[in-house]
Amino acid sequence: MVDRRKTLSWLLRALALGASPVAHIDFALAGGAQQGRAQSDRREAPANAPADQGYGRDPNLLHPHITWPLTLSPEQKAAVARLADVFLPQIGPSPAASAVGVPEFVDEWISAPYPQQQADRSVILDGLVALERQAPGPINRLAPAQVEALVAKLQSSAVAGDRTAARFFSRFRNVCLVGYYTTLTGVAELGYVGYQPSATFAGPPPEVLARLGV
Amino acid sequence: MAAEPFDVIVVGSGAAGGTAAYALTRAGARVCLLEAGRSYDPQRETPMFERTAVAPLRDAGTPDKPFGFYDATVDGGWVLPEEPFATAPGTEFRWFRARMLGGRTNHWGRVALRYADHDLKAFSRDGFGADWPFNYGEFSPWYDQAERLVGVFGSNPGLPDQPDSPPGCLQPPPVPRSFERLIMAGGRRLGRPVVASHTAVITRPINGRQACFYATPCLRGCSIGANFQSPTVLLPSARATGRLTTITHAQAYEIELARDGKARGVHYLDRRTNAHHFVAGRAVLLGASAMESVRMLFNSRSTAFPDGIGAESGWLGRGIMDSTGSNVWGQFPQMEGLPPFNDDGVWLPHVYIPWWAWPEQRAGKLPFTRGYHLELYGGRLEPSADTFDFFDTVSPFSYGARLKQEAQRYYGSFVRLSQRGEMIAREYNRVQIDPVLRDAWGIPSLRFDVRWSEQELHQTAHAQQSMAEFIEAAGGKLVAPLPKDPAHAILPPGRIIHEVGGARSGADPRKSVTNSFGRIWGVPNLYVIDGAVFPSSAHKNPTLTIVAFTLRACDHIQREMRHG
Ligand SMILES: Cc1cc2nc3c(=O)[nH]c(=O)nc-3n(C[C@H](O)[C@H](O)[C@H](O)COP(=O)(O)OP(=O)(O)OC[C@H]3O[C@@H](n4cnc5c(N)ncnc54)[C@H](O)[C@@H]3O)c2cc1C
Ligand code: SF4
Repeated sequence: MVDRRKTLSWLLRALALGASPVAHIDFALAGGAQQGRAQSDRREAPANAPADQGYGRDPNLLHPHITWPLTLSPEQKAAVARLADVFLPQIGPSPAASAVGVPEFVDEWISAPYPQQQADRSVILDGLVALERQAPGPINRLAPAQVEALVAKLQSSAVAGDRTAARFFSRFRNVCLVGYYTTLTGVAELGYVGYQPSATFAGPPPEVLARLGV
Repeated sequence: MAAEPFDVIVVGSGAAGGTAAYALTRAGARVCLLEAGRSYDPQRETPMFERTAVAPLRDAGTPDKPFGFYDATVDGGWVLPEEPFATAPGTEFRWFRARMLGGRTNHWGRVALRYADHDLKAFSRDGFGADWPFNYGEFSPWYDQAERLVGVFGSNPGLPDQPDSPPGCLQPPPVPRSFERLIMAGGRRLGRPVVASHTAVITRPINGRQACFYATPCLRGCSIGANFQSPTVLLPSARATGRLTTITHAQAYEIELARDGKARGVHYLDRRTNAHHFVAGRAVLLGASAMESVRMLFNSRSTAFPDGIGAESGWLGRGIMDSTGSNVWGQFPQMEGLPPFNDDGVWLPHVYIPWWAWPEQRAGKLPFTRGYHLELYGGRLEPSADTFDFFDTVSPFSYGARLKQEAQRYYGSFVRLSQRGEMIAREYNRVQIDPVLRDAWGIPSLRFDVRWSEQELHQTAHAQQSMAEFIEAAGGKLVAPLPKDPAHAILPPGRIIHEVGGARSGADPRKSVTNSFGRIWGVPNLYVIDGAVFPSSAHKNPTLTIVAFTLRACDHIQREMRHG
């Protein structure tokens, strides 16, 4: 069994993690950047990456890293960043999607050799091509207002019942939301507080109980 | 082989095998534990405080790790390419496995409920399936021991469906979290109980284990041993006796019988090298998980047992059960935009809804004869890859500043109610050896033929309706309308991962495979100790009952061995 000293060191580690969210996110990005060397342009990479590059059924859980080559070219990644920043823009102290690694996460997600991610890969890559066709130029070179207009148009097509547009909107937005709100910045914005070892569990504070009416 | 000859060979190191190794080594026996998976050290390997932010795909489930990257399961999942199984045409079965020291106890959901007398004697009540070969009065001392060993928090509200534990068995339950309090309030409005869950987590130190510190996801495992896992709670004590020999990567595949009809030992192969070995013992205990133990019995053919050991009654492989399962999600406006606060608690249920509709059911007013309970999940969990699953419903096509506001507004406001119900044991629900399919080591594989009956479908329709009532009584809204047909709501058999039966215990050798101690009729030193022995499976998650059954069996075995 583990002694108190060890528990205490975990406690400190947990607190340290909480205190330096940025360093932690950088770690995620560093992982992505390393993988960047394996980047391939979409024209070379088939839409279905080989299924044997997953992390397997016994990965090292204490050294998480992705095992599959990434997909997006620098231009595609920049386009994803521009779009993601319209979906999740900077608002006051709340950073834009591209500032917390969302484009890198989209790339990680759509490059993964698993069924859900492969399904999203087609939807998102095809959607990017379709969007660019409607754009006055490459997405990554558009003026901010032009990207805004592109997303507005996508939204109205989706609302009007264009199923391809709706599908892209839904999946791209979902991957961006996950990419954003699972970072420590995003977690803090949602008001999640946790991973705080404590000898007792006090339960929700009185003001919350009052709000719940229980 | 080290330390031969062994007194006992135990196959599998999960709830059943781990408990047997614990009980028998402490009673003085030299035990050889065969485990198909690799060794596993929770103290070194558990990602207690690792954050979702750095996990591949932010810890989303994948076929490699169905419950997420950090989940404790090693070399497991729903589909193991090396270990295929077949299903009969027109049927489905899900079979989740873990190939590691401690098996699925490293991950399990840790809901640990006692069967009541009416659960053990359900056949006597409604004529379906079979009774257990003992009643609650005979079995309850083993639940007492099991609770003290496993470490279970809970309360004793004195309900008909939930037998009270004697003083000193249960640990104090943690106070309910925000979403649990809402459902409790809903229960009060409906006049239905919502009470402390019985969950295998300790809130006070016992047996040298530290108490829970309410901070880390239990399904990743617990390196301080505050929740129950075989490798933290059972195996260290067994090892400390100096009488435990553990062989990992050891796939047992056949029990060998001696001329005198007794089990002589077990054939196994090393999964890495394919080398075949034999280990002898005075007794053999199968705890490889219900379906794997049944498979081994079928695969142990000889002139004396041409269809496999234990097959004479025709019950081997029959009476396979899972729990019924279905979900309903609610969204709760009261939970929107709450101020930040820590609502982690134990990362497992603090409360649950026991089966309440006894009076109507007894009076024959319900179209199904067996009960269910409801488990609650959700609230202000750590944001994950699932957090935004309902955004197309609650905030369709929003983006920009509005999307950020909606993310904050809706986060933490979803609650999932989940049915766990009793499935009736049926002779026709069975596993057999598939005529052609084999695993990567050439061992014949199982073929499942399991289906729900009208009983389970009626029960699920009732549960769906009840879950909706709870959500609405608690002030929530259904995220989606209930499916009209319960067949669309019920999850496929096996999906709740409570698969049991196939070598049922009983009082009559003509109608069962083992006696009340799990001993195979006709083989005096061969025992089945896992869920295969269940003649019926209450709506209550099976593991506590597996541990209690194994403790009782081991007490008997130890006395038998002492008498030669
Ligand atoms: C997601 C999930 C949630 C769950 N939630 C709950 C819950 O809340 N409450 C509850 O009561 N139960 C729950 N369970 C079920 C619980 O995990 C099982 O009931 C319990 O682990 C069964 O114990 P066992 O010893 O029979 O099998 P296992 O724990 O599966 O252990 C069997 C071991 O035997 C090994 N083995 C298999 N075949 C062989 C062979 N031929 N030779 C050698 N070794 C072999 C396996 O590798 C494994 O390690 C859950 C399970 C899962 C996966
Ligand atoms: S919540 Fe408690 S029991 Fe669960 S893993 Fe964390 S410390 Fe262990």
